[in-house]
Amino acid sequence: MNFGTIRTSRRLFLFVLLLSGNLAGAAVESTSSHGDPASNTWTVEQVVAALKEGREPSVSFEEAIYSSMLTEPLIVRGTLHFTPPATLEKEVVEPYRERYLIEGDRVTFESERKHVKKTISLEDYPALRSFVEAFRASFTGDVAQLKKVYETTVEGTSRQWTLLLRPHDQVGKSMVDYLLLSGSEGRIATIAIRAPDGDRSVMTLRRGPSR
Amino acid sequence: MRAAWWPVLIWVALTTGALWFTTTHLSVHSELGDLLPEGTTSTQRVLLTQVRSGLAGRLMILAIEGSHQDELARLSKALGEGLRKNSHIDFVGNGTQALSPEERLALFRSRYLLSRTVSAKTFSTDSLHVALEQRLDDLRSPLAPMTKQYVPSDPTGEFLGILRSWSGWEAPATHRGVWMSADRHRALLVVETKAAGFDADAQEAIQQNIRASFQRVLNELSPSARLLMSGPGVFTVEIQRTIEREVWWLSTVAATLVFLLLYASYRSVTLVLLSLIPLSSGILAGMVAVNSWFGFVHGITLGFGITLLGLVDDYPIHLLSHLNRRDTAQATMRAIWPTMRLGVLTTAIGFSSLLLAGFPALAQLGLFALAGLGTAALVTRWVLPVCVPAGFVPREIRADLLGTMAYLSKVRVLVPVAVVLATIVLIWSDTPLWEEDLAKISPVSEEKKELDQQLRGAMGAPDMRDLLVIEAATQEDLLQRGETVMPKLDRLREAGALAGYDLVSRYLPSQRMQRQRQQDLPEPALLEDRLREAVKGLSFAPGLFAPFLAGIEEARSQSLVDRESFHGTSLGLKIEALMVEHHGRWLAVAPLRGVADRQALKAAVAGWGDVAVAYVDLKEESSRLMREYRDRTLQLLGWGGVAIAVALGIGLKSLPQLWRVLVPIVAGLIVVTGILNLAGESLSLFHVATLLLVIGLGLDYALFLNRPEDQGEERRRTVFGLLVCSTTTILVFGVLAFSKIPVLHAIGLTAACGSLCCLLFAGFLSEQDSHVA
Repeated sequence: MNFGTIRTSRRLFLFVLLLSGNLAGAAVESTSSHGDPASNTWTVEQVVAALKEGREPSVSFEEAIYSSMLTEPLIVRGTLHFTPPATLEKEVVEPYRERYLIEGDRVTFESERKHVKKTISLEDYPALRSFVEAFRASFTGDVAQLKKVYETTVEGTSRQWTLLLRPHDQVGKSMVDYLLLSGSEGRIATIAIRAPDGDRSVMTLRRGPSR
Repeated sequence: MRAAWWPVLIWVALTTGALWFTTTHLSVHSELGDLLPEGTTSTQRVLLTQVRSGLAGRLMILAIEGSHQDELARLSKALGEGLRKNSHIDFVGNGTQALSPEERLALFRSRYLLSRTVSAKTFSTDSLHVALEQRLDDLRSPLAPMTKQYVPSDPTGEFLGILRSWSGWEAPATHRGVWMSADRHRALLVVETKAAGFDADAQEAIQQNIRASFQRVLNELSPSARLLMSGPGVFTVEIQRTIEREVWWLSTVAATLVFLLLYASYRSVTLVLLSLIPLSSGILAGMVAVNSWFGFVHGITLGFGITLLGLVDDYPIHLLSHLNRRDTAQATMRAIWPTMRLGVLTTAIGFSSLLLAGFPALAQLGLFALAGLGTAALVTRWVLPVCVPAGFVPREIRADLLGTMAYLSKVRVLVPVAVVLATIVLIWSDTPLWEEDLAKISPVSEEKKELDQQLRGAMGAPDMRDLLVIEAATQEDLLQRGETVMPKLDRLREAGALAGYDLVSRYLPSQRMQRQRQQDLPEPALLEDRLREAVKGLSFAPGLFAPFLAGIEEARSQSLVDRESFHGTSLGLKIEALMVEHHGRWLAVAPLRGVADRQALKAAVAGWGDVAVAYVDLKEESSRLMREYRDRTLQLLGWGGVAIAVALGIGLKSLPQLWRVLVPIVAGLIVVTGILNLAGESLSLFHVATLLLVIGLGLDYALFLNRPEDQGEERRRTVFGLLVCSTTTILVFGVLAFSKIPVLHAIGLTAACGSLCCLLFAGFLSEQDSHVA
């Protein structure tokens, strides 16, 4: 017997987090040739292309989690790693060590405090699979796929832009209300994810691995 | 003359009646389970029940291969969806299914009754504080979106704990959400059929359904994708079909050969057809007798029964060979009848030992053979002579035939030599005398067995060899016992004695345990106080845990869960498979995985000192079962042999005659056993049953060769008749010996060798000199 739904949705969310975080590491000082500096307005194509341009292997983060269940936000710190073409890792160092690793289809979860290490499949559910696949494709520079899954809105200039992603389909909407990425040129400064119940997480990214 | 026709009329009437009966009432079963014995110990009875209808027999593993892994995943999902709609299938697992929302809700409501971690301590201030800290950790995790919904109503984490404790077994690897082999070359599915694994017809229908469903989900993306199936049900169908196919072509070949031989011997199609009357009447009588007594005839009884009845084909051959110009057919029959009668009676004694073996398969076979034997003898005696065309005489028999016989008797020293050689073979051979491994008797091909092993390995499925069986008078007793056994099994698992187990108590606590848990739940006011203390210093929103307080309050008085609570769900299915009612008692059957040392485990379980709990090695137990029945059959056969000797002594009224009849048979049995052993065959129950046929043949040959009234030409006819008899037998069974099916091969080889040995030995030992005048 397999009680899989929980894991599925978790995985999906995890994936969203990791991927977005990773791309953040992507381009720190990208002097983009895309876009027109004169007009200073950016398009989705330009943002994605800029993000893909220069990648850094790792970037440190600080994540604040806001929930209606809490009186004050929870803070998590750590590092995001990316190894092309598809290996992503979220390494938590504070308040305790934890590791989430996505390699292709597999997700390995390791926690020092909970004494667990387990490997699960990224996809478990047909309805979610397409969503995840589309999402993955979108962040490897495939704008067409990204637009197929999300309604995309870019605001601001190349120096100060925001990319708002809202899922098109029902399954996606049940997972996430929206993702809001903000950044400058090819570098992401924050990723905010808002769940349908109003809970939010805001991740702030800095260059290089955390201590 | 006219009086002679009465038996024919009676025969016609009876045959008509029997034909009507067989066409309207005959019920032929193909379920192997129907033939299994009841078992002598309670463990054996449990096992046989499990084998007949248990979960193990109903599980089938499917694999899809021959395509890219993404396509395999798609096929697995599509096939799984299709099969879940099939009303003959109880359950389909391919990695995608989860608990339905209703099941989750039912489980969530009963979390405080079901969770193994619920105790009074769980709700102390300190424990609550630790639990709440863990919930904060959960909220920090990227997995929070999936778990946070349970924080307000289940801060001690009982519900997720239950789910975690249930997903105990090593699930196979997954790709795109479906189970795959580690190398991703095969998508894996598990199917649980409604029909028992031994129900060949139902299983075949289901398997065809599955294949058809698979064909429907195939598309142009997967031209080379293949579906593999394995499991007891698949084996059953394969065995059934292989036997049918082999029997069909083997019997076609054998029948053609026999027809040609008989035609060459008698030069008359009429006579060849007449010679079939006793056999066919016998088969008809056997079917009617077995169906009337047992309520059904098993397909296997039919096949083996007809084999055993091959003996009665000798009777018309004797009559036809003895026909001559002087006497009518009736007179000839009267002349050979005393000898034939003694042969029939003594053979009947041998066959009746099957009736007493206490093994339904053998009892059916015994009754079938007895009824057929008697009928065939009566038909040969009273019906056949009337039908033989007047004035018919078989072909001239070569005169030097007797000279050959005389020569045989000169080398009778070969008999003791052969017996001594056979004995030496039996004593010093490396081939074990008895086959202990049932798997070797199975006609399932090696590739199929290997595939089954591979798929089971990939699935991480228990091979259903090692079981822990718990017995109790009531469900409640059973579950309470299970609860005391579970920690012991956990200790064994931690010590590495076994890799895992599946016991009903993991899923369903006893009523006593549930009541205990209810009593451990604190009163609302008390819990509220403790919670207020526990939450201090943690940043949870005020009033967040109101659903928790309400849930505990509700659980304190909620109705308990039992076996029926989960009926119709995948969980219910599991519970129903793990605990079964058997003759008013309750049994828990717990499959064990990865047993390291069977002897040690057996000793460990015995060391618990609970007689109601037993470790069972299914393979060992089934071998033991077969051994017991074989020994019992052999014992009965021994007594049958004594009874045959006594009957022969009374019938022959002469010790030297008795000697000449018995010695060739006994020598024949020893030599045949020796030959089989030399050929690398270990004896199974099937060989033993066939040795009965050999005894019958030996009696027939020896009695006819030692007829005191045989002189000159009459003796020549006897010898000629026996040659035809023996050649027919050797042809039919010799063909059978070429079968790839171990059982048919065993029967064929045994009977063909037996016929040859018995005829030769009877020839060696028969009294020649006084006859060759």
